[in-house]
Order: sequence, then C-alpha cells, then structure tokens
Amino acid sequence: MTEASASDDVGGSGFSLDDLSDYLDRGREPAIAAIDGNAECQAMLASLERVGALSRDLVVRDASDKPGIEESWLQGVLTAISREVRAGRDIPLSSSEPNTRLSITEGAVHELVRAAGDSVEGVLVGRCTLDGDLDDPDAAVRIALTISVVLSAPIVVLAEAVRERVYSELLKHTELTIESVDVTVTDAHTLERPVEEDEA
Amino acid sequence: MIDLSTASDRILAERSADGDTNAFSVLVRRHAPYLRAFAHRLTGSAADADDAVQEALISAWKQLPALQDPSKVRSWLTSIVSRKATDRIRSRRPTGELDDELVAEHGSGPEQRAIETSRWEALTRVLDELPEGQRQCWVLKEVGGYSYDEIAERLDLSVTTVRGKLARARQTVVREMEVWR
Repeated sequence: MTEASASDDVGGSGFSLDDLSDYLDRGREPAIAAIDGNAECQAMLASLERVGALSRDLVVRDASDKPGIEESWLQGVLTAISREVRAGRDIPLSSSEPNTRLSITEGAVHELVRAAGDSVEGVLVGRCTLDGDLDDPDAAVRIALTISVVLSAPIVVLAEAVRERVYSELLKHTELTIESVDVTVTDAHTLERPVEEDEA
Repeated sequence: MIDLSTASDRILAERSADGDTNAFSVLVRRHAPYLRAFAHRLTGSAADADDAVQEALISAWKQLPALQDPSKVRSWLTSIVSRKATDRIRSRRPTGELDDELVAEHGSGPEQRAIETSRWEALTRVLDELPEGQRQCWVLKEVGGYSYDEIAERLDLSVTTVRGKLARARQTVVREMEVWR
C-alpha cells in the first residue's frame, strides 16, 4: 500500500512526497534542514499547500454557486426538530385550588427571557441559564444571559435596559425569587445583512 | 418575528441550544450550502449529500445544548456531516469499494484537459477521476482537516490503507494540477 511513498525521493533529499506532507501537517516542526535547504522540496511543499488550499476553496465555490436551499428540504429539517422540544425542568407555581398542580417549564422561562431581551431595540439574546433550586419557590435563582448588541450602540445602556426588562417580565409572569440577572455582552451585530448571506 | 439574519453564529447557536427553532433555521440557511457542497464532494452524490446533511442537522439540534464553543458551529456541523456522510459511504459498500487501479484507467484524455478554462474545472475533473476511496480520504483530510486516525475510523479502514490511498491521491492531484500553478 505504501510502495508509492517508499520509492519517490524528492530532489535527492531522502524524503518522499508523503514525508513532506507529514512535515507540512506538523507545521514544519521540528525543522528538518535536508528539507528546508532543498529547492525541490520547497517547491513540492508549496505545491502541496496550494492543492490543499485549492480543495478547500473549491467547496466554498461550490457552495456559492448553489447558495439557495429548497424550502421543502428545509421544512423536512424543521419538522423533525420541532418534535424535540427543549422543556427542561418543571418550575412549580402556587395554586389556590387544593388538587391542582401548576407549573411552568424552564424552556418557557427561557423564551420569556429571550423575548424580554429582544424587545430592547438593538439587542439579540443568546443563551439563558437559570441557576438555583427551581423546585423550591423560596430558593434564590440567578438568571444569566448573553446578548449581542448592534454595532456602535451604547453597550452599558442596552445591557442595563435588558437587565431591567428581563427582571420585570419574570416578576410579572413567574414566581421565581430572583437573586440576580447577569447580562454578558458577547457579540455585536449590524442591522444590515452581511454580504455573504445576500444570496442565501 | 425578530430579524436574526445578522446575528453571529454564536448567538444563533446559543438560541438554538435554548430551543429557538427560528434561530436554528437561520443557522441552517446560512451553512447548508457549504455543508451540502462538502458532503457532495465527499460522497460524490447530490442525493446522498442532501440526506446526510439533513440527518446531520437533526442530530445537531439534539446535541446543541452540549456544544462547548458555539462560535465554532460551522466546523462542528461539518464534523457531524462528515460522520453522517461516511455512514452512508460505508453502508453502500461493497459497490462503493471500487478497485483503485481499475478506476484510474478511466482518466480523460488531453482533449478534455485542453478545454478546461480554470483551475476549478481542472481540480473538479481530477477529483472526479480519483478512485472513490482516494477522493474520500482526500476530501476528509484536505477539506475536513481530519487526521489519518480519524479518517481511518470514519471510513472503517486501517490507518495504513488510508495512508496508501492518500499517497496515491496526493501524487495524482499534485501532478495534474502542476500546469495550473
């Protein structure tokens, strides 16, 4: 299987094409003088890098040649995933009726937090986590969320607005004892669509 | 509905992890063309590529809450696609396991080469003419960035076999692409 690799000696260096490829894979470390000082080896390394990069570019080009996706194909994916609901933990709600148990899911709280944060103009919410004993209505719960803010917006003002909006929405719609709402700005976005997605 | 088309991959992956199907559909629209192109080059079949990517995306949705670095969602999705695509490759053997030397005979002549107007056309032909196993190893290594061990595991081959296939693929690609330097 390796007869091809054993026989070809590039430029009298004592190294085969495959050795050169391995050398490239290792980031040319540790340096091998017999390769680095051999013109044919250097030309071959350049060729290997070129065809590798060309192969990667080819797939990117294939993708930009066919940027659209069929709606039916996409629907197939979305229908399948909609069966996998992320409900998370159940959070009990108090009830005045003796034999009634009410609860709200963690997933619903995520949705509430997301909608509250998104409602601040220039903000998109990322991940939301609830940290605390959700079974115990008196236990303090810490809410953490990541957000992206629109470029050139006043970051602190937006983050503070999100914190307040999330806090008041949770007070209104849940019985959680909220210890804190931590907002972390992890990203920025533009209001215009990025160029690479224009065709999609 | 809020416009998520300018959101970063990280934000979209995080929202998806929290159950936002709208964010996931934006992520899919953004990356599906690349994922399908990758799977097509890997499997050599548009139909297999479509099925593998669809399967991969459904599987990705389930795994998203555990994704460590949501900003690297594209390379993460690519690795799931390569897994689903190689599952298909393995399941369609033995017909897929063509004799390397035999297929190499089907190379096109100088006429075909003369009308190629770009290195993309040339590379497309070279890859199409590679024996299937060699092409798969090449795409996994050079486009997917996988190691010999990973490729061997994915394709259920020995590392020695993978090395051999890549050695031959490398010689052919370097030789054929020499004129397009």
